[in-house]
Order: sequence, then structure tokens, then C-alpha cells
Amino acid sequence: MAGVWVFAENYEHGLELLQIGRSLADKTGVELTAFACGDKEVGQQYIYYGAHQVFILPPLAEDQPLETYVPAIAEVARQEDPDIFLFAATLRGKEIAARVAARLNTGLCSECIELDIKDNKLEMKRVLYGGAALQTIICKTRPQMATIPVHTFTSVTDLDNTRQGIIKEFDPISSTPVKVRDRQPRAQESGDITRSRVLVCVGRGVEKEEDLKLARELAEILGGDLACTRPIAEELHWMPQETYIGLSGQTVKPELYIGLGISGQIQHTTGIRDSRIICTINKDEDAPIFKISDYGIVGDLYKVVPFLSQELARLKKK
Amino acid sequence: MFKISLNIIACFKWVVDHEDIKVNPETNELVLDRAGYRISDYDRFAIEEAVALSEQYGGSTTAVTVGFPAAKKSLKDALARGPEKAIFINDPAFANLEPSQTAAILAQSINNQEFDLIICGEGSGDLYAQQVGPRLAEHLNIPCASFVRKITIEGRELIAERRVDEGIEIISMPLPALVTVLPEINSPRVPGLKDTLAASKKPVVEITGSDLEETVPCLETVEIKATTMERNCEKFDANEDDLKRFVEVLLRAGVID
Repeated sequence: MAGVWVFAENYEHGLELLQIGRSLADKTGVELTAFACGDKEVGQQYIYYGAHQVFILPPLAEDQPLETYVPAIAEVARQEDPDIFLFAATLRGKEIAARVAARLNTGLCSECIELDIKDNKLEMKRVLYGGAALQTIICKTRPQMATIPVHTFTSVTDLDNTRQGIIKEFDPISSTPVKVRDRQPRAQESGDITRSRVLVCVGRGVEKEEDLKLARELAEILGGDLACTRPIAEELHWMPQETYIGLSGQTVKPELYIGLGISGQIQHTTGIRDSRIICTINKDEDAPIFKISDYGIVGDLYKVVPFLSQELARLKKK
Repeated sequence: MFKISLNIIACFKWVVDHEDIKVNPETNELVLDRAGYRISDYDRFAIEEAVALSEQYGGSTTAVTVGFPAAKKSLKDALARGPEKAIFINDPAFANLEPSQTAAILAQSINNQEFDLIICGEGSGDLYAQQVGPRLAEHLNIPCASFVRKITIEGRELIAERRVDEGIEIISMPLPALVTVLPEINSPRVPGLKDTLAASKKPVVEITGSDLEETVPCLETVEIKATTMERNCEKFDANEDDLKRFVEVLLRAGVID
């Protein structure tokens, strides 16, 4: 069974890929296959959510990284020759997809944000030049591969637990010379900003680390979370790595984004382009971010933010 | 410290400076002909890490780039950052390579070099496809770790701290190996005048397309257009009336309650 294949390292992202995978499979009249990593129950769920077939990869030894699956994934793809192969663009998913593509001598569209079938070919869009351009590409070799950023598509919802499908279990996989010595989960303090409804984002216009509390107060009153630009996390280390928005950081789509002291470099703004409403507070009237903002306040954030927090708190009390 | 002596290869790319990209407002097409080029920002971290490791453990660093003839300008900049030599894989046909081709070309060129470690940036400043490192490791059949933020060497083993979606994974792998590094791994030194002068005396090995097997693209670009973000662009002043009006606008939009 060739058709459309999807691989995600976890269940949640798997459901997102099933959504887009199903629409592509239906459009081309082919079947949909999903990989499940080491968990038969997950595979069963994927069938209930619309996969015609699931491949159950065997559980890995404790010291084996997820990339251990690469040879097995590439081998089954070589034998069965899928038309389309999508991967969730988690950090490991991106490495796995690139290595599988290398083994299959095929093209891979990285971080594809839109995909559709045109003349029976998969047409894919992705950003270039730090977000300044949008490229449309097709893949002339098989399978046509793409990685899909997480949360690009909503999850499938129509669960039908009478659906039947084929479950194929893989043989145990030989271990790799790469060994995991330790795993350190992310600190709990940093929430997942990709799910926030409201985000207050700080940039270099915030002068001192202790001034973050102004932004945090505003975020709290709005029931939102605090995010930042790359330099705040990576150069100044004021906030965790997971909270910076931008091309090499997180892509967010909140209902409301409020940027404080952010100039609007393309690498940052490409990460907020799908926000519903973009607001900006910046004292530099010519800052590029005003051009991509719905509502911009030209003013000193040290005066504007406390006033807004106070005003919002007052309204809330009413 | 015990000296291990590492032969390290740092890969870098000469990319268009996207600050210089202009847009034709009528066609929405990009105008690149007057844009400057620079070593991809991400690759500065790769070069720095290679040089720092060879200083720490002993050994030497070779900077490698695949590009079109104008990328020759990148070599002095790269060498000023500390590598002992450079390999310039140069052909007019190498102007718009896709990741599968770049990886295949690098693999052919590196295959007969002696190396212990290859370091790449996590992605390039222009395409940011993040594929060349992992693809190159597959071509060379060596272990690979991506998105690495710390490297240590223990004998013939490399220990890497790599980012994964749930946090950090600490892995070990035997050399030779390949890593792709994150910007947080180091702070690249800024070359001084002395470094720049020394760079012009360092050896550069040139490989041309005719020395290599031809590579064929897998992808085809249908179009490239400037991204547009259509927004209201309404401006407010910082006076009390305007700020109250701002809050009302957000209330009406239903994004705050």
C-alpha cells in the first residue's frame, strides 16, 4: 500500500498530520499510512482517526535515541514506494526526515506551511531568507517529502472506533552507535507559548532584566503568557530558550500579540505572522514592526505599559 | 589536558544578506542583484566551535564551502576566524543548489579527507532547510547529532547536549561523527586585523565541479514571491485618551475580556 505516509514522534502531532494526510490522500484517491513509535495503542487510535494502515515501530531500548528508527523507516519506504511522506517538524523529526530523504535520494521541503495537490503533484510552500519570501516548490522524485511545523494543522476530530485498518508490526531494530546518556526534561517554568491565547512579547527595548516584571504584569492581567525575541533568550539569557519567537525559535498564533520594544526584524515577525491581532508599543515611530501591526502605540513602554495594566485591571474589577 | 588531536571540518555557506533584499512592488518579486553576501550567521557558530575544540584538544580545523565563483570572497573571512586551511568547492553551476545536492557535493569532496568531526550550523541563513548536516552524515555513513548546544570529547567519543522538543538529551557517539550546532553553543570571536592578515597566507584547496560527479536537483521551484503581511497599521499616541481608545479597540475585537 503506497499512498500518503505520515510520521510524528508523538501522538498529538500524529493527529495533526492525519488531518492533512487524509485530505491529501482523499484528493489523490490513495490510502493513508501512519507510523506509531513503539506503541500499539497509539496505532489503533490512528486507525480510528482515519489511517488505513499503521506501522508499529518497536519500542527502543532506554539508551537509544529516536533516530535509531531511520534505517527501518527508509527501508520500508524503499520497498513500498509511497507517493507522499510527511514528518512532524519537531527537532528530531527534522533530522529523521532529512536522513530518510538522503537514504531515498529524494527531495524534502523543510517546514512546509501550505500544501496542496496540483496536477496530481504535491505543491508545497515554505519561507526563505529569514521569512522575507515565500517559495512554492514541487518534488520531482519519489516520495515527495515534507516536514510540517507542529500546530500548522488542527488535529483530526472525527473519531470512529469501529474503523478497521491494517496493523503491521516491525521486527526489532538494531541499535546505533549513538547512545543516550541522560534526558533532562524542560523546566516547568516555561509554558508552551505556541498554545497561548494572548502573548506579551519583549524585545531589546526593555532595558533591564527586572523590567520584565512590567511585561509579566500586563500578560497576567490579560490572562496570557510572556514571550521574547531571540536576543533576550540567547544573548541576555533573561528568559528560557523555549520562549523566544522567530524563525529559529517558536512560531505562534495567538489571538492577541503585544510586542514591547521590538523593532520588527523579519526573523522575528515571521514567527508571529499568523497571530490574529498584532499590537506594538515602541518609542521609535519608524520601527519596521509598525508596518506589520494592526494597532501600534508610539510611546515609551515604561509609561505606556503600567498605564495599560492599570486600565485593564480597573475594567476587570467592573 | 590530555591532547587528542582532532581533525575538524567546519562547513559554511556564503549567503545573500537578507537585509539587502528588495522587492519589486509591482510584481512582488525579489530583487537580489544588488544584495551583498556574508557567511551565514549560523555557520559562524560552527566555525567557532571547530576552532575552539581544536584549541582545547589539539588538532586543526578545515573550513569547507560549496559555492559559485563569487563565494571566493568568503574564504578570507572564514580563515580569519581561526581555521588552518579552507576547501573551496567552486563551480558556476553551484549558485542555487538544493540541500540534497550540497550534501552530495560535500560528501564527495570530504570523503577522501581525514577527519574526526564535521560541524555544520543548524541551518543556513538563506534557505534554512536544516538538511545538509544530517544528509551529509548519511552519505558518509557516520553518526550524527543535530541541534547541539554543548560538545565535549572523551577519548574517541563525542558527548553532546542536544535540544529535543521535551528538553535536553545527552548523547555519546564514536568519532568520526557529525554535529549541527545551535547559536547558543558559543560566542564567535570577532577577527582582528592580525587574524585577517594571517588569513591571506593560509592555504586554500580548490575543487571544481568537473572533479565531482554531477548532482541532479530533486525539487523544482514554481515561484518565489515576497511575503506580505496585510495589517491595519493604525497608530496611537501615548496620551491617556489614545491609550483608552486602544483598550476599547481590543475589547471590541474580542481579544480581551
